[in-house]
Amino acid sequence: MKVSYNWLKDYVDFDLTPEELAEKLTMVGFEVEEIIQTLSKFEKIVVGKIKSCVKHPDADRLSVCEVELPDNTYNVICGAPNVQKGQNIPFAQVGVSLPNGLKIKKAKIRGTESFGMICSEEELGLVEHSDGIWVLPEEWSVGEDVYERLLDTQDFIFDIAITPNRPDAMSMIGIAREIAAFTERDLKIPKINLVEDDEPASKLISIEIENPEGCPRYAAKVIKNVKIKASPKWMADRLTAAGVRPINNIVDITNYILLETGQPLHAFDHKFIEDSKIVVRFSTENEKFITLDEKERELPHETVLICDGKKSVAIGGIMGGLNSEVTEKTKTVLLESAYFNPVHISRSSKKLGLSTEASQRFERGMDPSGVLFAANRAAYLMSELAGGKILSGEVDNYLNKIESRKISVRIERINKVLGTSITENEVIKILSSLGIEYKNGKATIPTFRPDLEREVDIIEEIARCITFDNIPVKEKTSIYYENQANDKDTYLSFLKKKLVELEFNEALTNSMIPKEMITDENKDDYLVPIYNPISDDMNIMRPSLIPGLLKSVIYNLNRNQPNIRLFELGRIFTKINDQYESEQPYNICGVICGNTKNPNWNEGTATVDFYDIKGLVESLINKIFLDKVEFILYDSHIYFDKKSTLSIKRGEQTLGYFGKIKREVLNKIDIEQDVFSFEFNADLLFDIRNINRQYKSFSKYPYVEKDLAFVLDQKVNSNEIINAIARAGGSLVESVNVFDVFTGENIGHGKKSIAFRIKFQSYEKTLQDEEVQGLFLKIINKIESTFHANLRE
Amino acid sequence: MLEQIKKIKQEAENELKKISTSQELDTLRLKYLSRKGLISSLFSDLKDVVANERAIVGQKINQLKSDVESSYKELQESLKSDKETEDDVDLFLPGRQPFIGRLHPLTIVLDEIKQIFFNLGFHVEDGPEIETDYYNFEALNIPKDHPARDMQDTLYITEEILLRTHTSPVQIRVMQSQKPPISIIAPGRVYRRDTPDASHSPFFHQVEGLVVDEGISFGDLKGVITAFAHKMFGSDIKVRFRPSFFPFTEPSAEYDFNCVFCRGKGCRVCKNTGWMEISGAGMVDPNVFEAVGYDSEKYTGYAFGMGVDRIAMLKYGINDIRLFFENDLRFLNQF
Ligand SMILES: [Zn+2]
Repeated sequence: MKVSYNWLKDYVDFDLTPEELAEKLTMVGFEVEEIIQTLSKFEKIVVGKIKSCVKHPDADRLSVCEVELPDNTYNVICGAPNVQKGQNIPFAQVGVSLPNGLKIKKAKIRGTESFGMICSEEELGLVEHSDGIWVLPEEWSVGEDVYERLLDTQDFIFDIAITPNRPDAMSMIGIAREIAAFTERDLKIPKINLVEDDEPASKLISIEIENPEGCPRYAAKVIKNVKIKASPKWMADRLTAAGVRPINNIVDITNYILLETGQPLHAFDHKFIEDSKIVVRFSTENEKFITLDEKERELPHETVLICDGKKSVAIGGIMGGLNSEVTEKTKTVLLESAYFNPVHISRSSKKLGLSTEASQRFERGMDPSGVLFAANRAAYLMSELAGGKILSGEVDNYLNKIESRKISVRIERINKVLGTSITENEVIKILSSLGIEYKNGKATIPTFRPDLEREVDIIEEIARCITFDNIPVKEKTSIYYENQANDKDTYLSFLKKKLVELEFNEALTNSMIPKEMITDENKDDYLVPIYNPISDDMNIMRPSLIPGLLKSVIYNLNRNQPNIRLFELGRIFTKINDQYESEQPYNICGVICGNTKNPNWNEGTATVDFYDIKGLVESLINKIFLDKVEFILYDSHIYFDKKSTLSIKRGEQTLGYFGKIKREVLNKIDIEQDVFSFEFNADLLFDIRNINRQYKSFSKYPYVEKDLAFVLDQKVNSNEIINAIARAGGSLVESVNVFDVFTGENIGHGKKSIAFRIKFQSYEKTLQDEEVQGLFLKIINKIESTFHANLRE
Repeated sequence: MLEQIKKIKQEAENELKKISTSQELDTLRLKYLSRKGLISSLFSDLKDVVANERAIVGQKINQLKSDVESSYKELQESLKSDKETEDDVDLFLPGRQPFIGRLHPLTIVLDEIKQIFFNLGFHVEDGPEIETDYYNFEALNIPKDHPARDMQDTLYITEEILLRTHTSPVQIRVMQSQKPPISIIAPGRVYRRDTPDASHSPFFHQVEGLVVDEGISFGDLKGVITAFAHKMFGSDIKVRFRPSFFPFTEPSAEYDFNCVFCRGKGCRVCKNTGWMEISGAGMVDPNVFEAVGYDSEKYTGYAFGMGVDRIAMLKYGINDIRLFFENDLRFLNQF
């Protein structure tokens, strides 16, 4: 809310500078987000008098003026239509810079010289737009500094963030009440001296409330013989400062009272209120209404409607109707001041998508007792500023009076919750400054504070008023509880560190990705779509970490950073059995592309391929102590190429997949390079984690290495041979490695040669040659017979 | 015989010490280690030794041979490398760099936050990112039609299921499953319907804190937040609490830290206020205790939030939140 510093002084005497006031308000819960000065500094603009003014000989639209200053007279060319002899004007001499950056120079326009400039308000940065020059009041003296002269009118507009629990503070008086409380001054509420006509308002209007649950109170006054015109400058200025556009005196008065008291009012042209009758009722099914902004709106169920004898004339508490608004022809005003149920206003406003100054206040809760004060204050201003005749009294339909609430408040509870030692007398004083009476352990809450319902709400008021700064800090906080690390959290951190050790950079990507990136035909079965996405680029929740990381890959490729190793650990989201929220596992995923090594001055470097990602996966499995893991061919993955994918299995469980990303997936985001990736379900890894490490001694005896190579059918799975070698060799086989693979005509079509290095070692003794040779032959026999292999000599 | 071995050993050692060139070294090799060298002749003399001593003497000669050999090899290596170092190699060529893996800056900062709170006695809890309306709003005292719902523009999956707008639902989940005393933090990702710009991201990261026990007061909250500020940013950083409004705390506060750039003196970054807004906090609202079946007369508690992204931005002087999620290697490689 925008609050004028000068205007506040109408309601409370305070001697705080704008900065001090802003600081104090902030510290009692009204955060001043910005202070805007209405007058921005400009220099060396002085009052000049126009001594003569004639048409430019060669230009119709221009005038040649003589501007008089105390020391001299200057010839100036002016293009404004409103310039006239005898005027006082703001004058900028040669060399002066205007707030808009324009520097005044000596000029020659169509043969006539000009020494300065006569300024408009716009050029001085005082208003958004002005037509013509600014004519200054006659009493300003020639040579006077214009900025100095204006300083009296300088105002500071505070932009205050009002929290939704404080509808009472959405007004000048509301803010002034808070200032009065912390400055310990009196709140000055405007006195109203109503002069009313003999004719009673009840003769011109009657009020019927059909649904008091939506509108507990509806009051009206009638003002006759109003003259519609522009508002006086002081009022227009205050409205403008608060961000409200002046319209005409009647509408402006309702807005002015809204800003002053917080109570929204509505002025109807009485002529359009048929049968001189207001009926307040809920809307019926599919009812439509045209609001002031000329839009036809379909009304939600149970919207509070203001009607006359025949038709609806306003949406109660939200917006008036086009059919009954005040125009320049209006003679008699029907002034509405009402209290609406916050729940109904909030619901209708949201469903209508229509939020107004009025609805924002009613939905937070206005003061049911403030209805008549606001109506009378507005009626008074209408008689003052529009010459209106106020009919006597008001029509006030208020069947079930809303009483002040009483709350039990215990002093010791206040101190227990806050950690303070406040006395009862202090509590009485603080609460009374807020208009709350505290007696015999009970606080009586004024009706303008609907937010105060419970003891704890009063405790908050006490804390706010003493300010939080004055609540003592407990140095030794009272958390002494036994503390344990969260196993899952610790494990996930461990996983991340292992990937960092494998030279991956950690990435964090958006969990919302474009559906377009998912190429899978069955995607609708498992994807989690966002109902109200920010854009099509974020319209589903990620079912995998791969798409997000691929976006980071292309981001880097586009910036000439081709060697990429990124990983992410984060949740993925899929719909299971039509449940969106059931399964949100953590996955861990890595992507690599580009070179296998950093480029170097004397070594070439290769581009990553399948065996790089496989090696990284194997290393990770090793680093996290996973055992009994198998790799199985997998040809139906959504993101991985069907010829270059392995699934990672442990028993029946699939822990993840790795391989080469499908070309069609990469093409979706214009990646030309090959990208390899792995993705594990980190929740599963956690479930099967092997954290209790036991030291295992290693052999003290020398090992023997033997090499052998087989020619085999190309389809044979090399891992099976390795396993077969290990099995055939028994417990003395320490390791089996592949050290050479090749194909070629010399070994036959459809064949490959694989060379293995077998390491034999015993834990008990130094192995003898004969023993190793025996095992070696056994292995050869076994492999030859099982895989139809031929030993290469 | 043993005397002779000892003598040759002595001689060889002395000569080895004096050697400074490859030629001298080669002369030494010929003298001792060649087929006609002194040590070989010792082996041929072995046959003259009486049988029962032969094993011992043989062992001694073997020992001598291997000692001289290893000294010879050592010297040979060092003479060779001295030469290369002096003549052929430019030590100032760049070394062969491995790729360097790094944690994301938000992980680094979150780990630091977790460690600080762990030492203060807080346990880490986790909660789902796709939440129900009940946990995200209802149970936190934010019923439908409550104006506070407008404060957070929410992304929905269905009418009742949404992307959590804050980590506060974890408060409810923890209190439903545990009894006081409770002292937890819950870090995690949250979502808002914000268009990305330098200071907004539609997803970001919070740490929720919750402490519930008998006798917990606002003073405890101030104590914990102050301790955190000092450990994270330095003990000269002051903390201030301002009243605010959150439906699930009462009293509610926003807390600010001294600007970490000017240490509170006022600068461009803090718009000369000397303060930086951090986040919200407050005493747990009795309605929240009611929702989880706690006795709000017996127990009091406090809750607080903080933005991990915001703290990381302050810590590293990052001025655009989007940098965290673009994963530009030039950014990631700085942490
Ligand atoms: Zn600063």
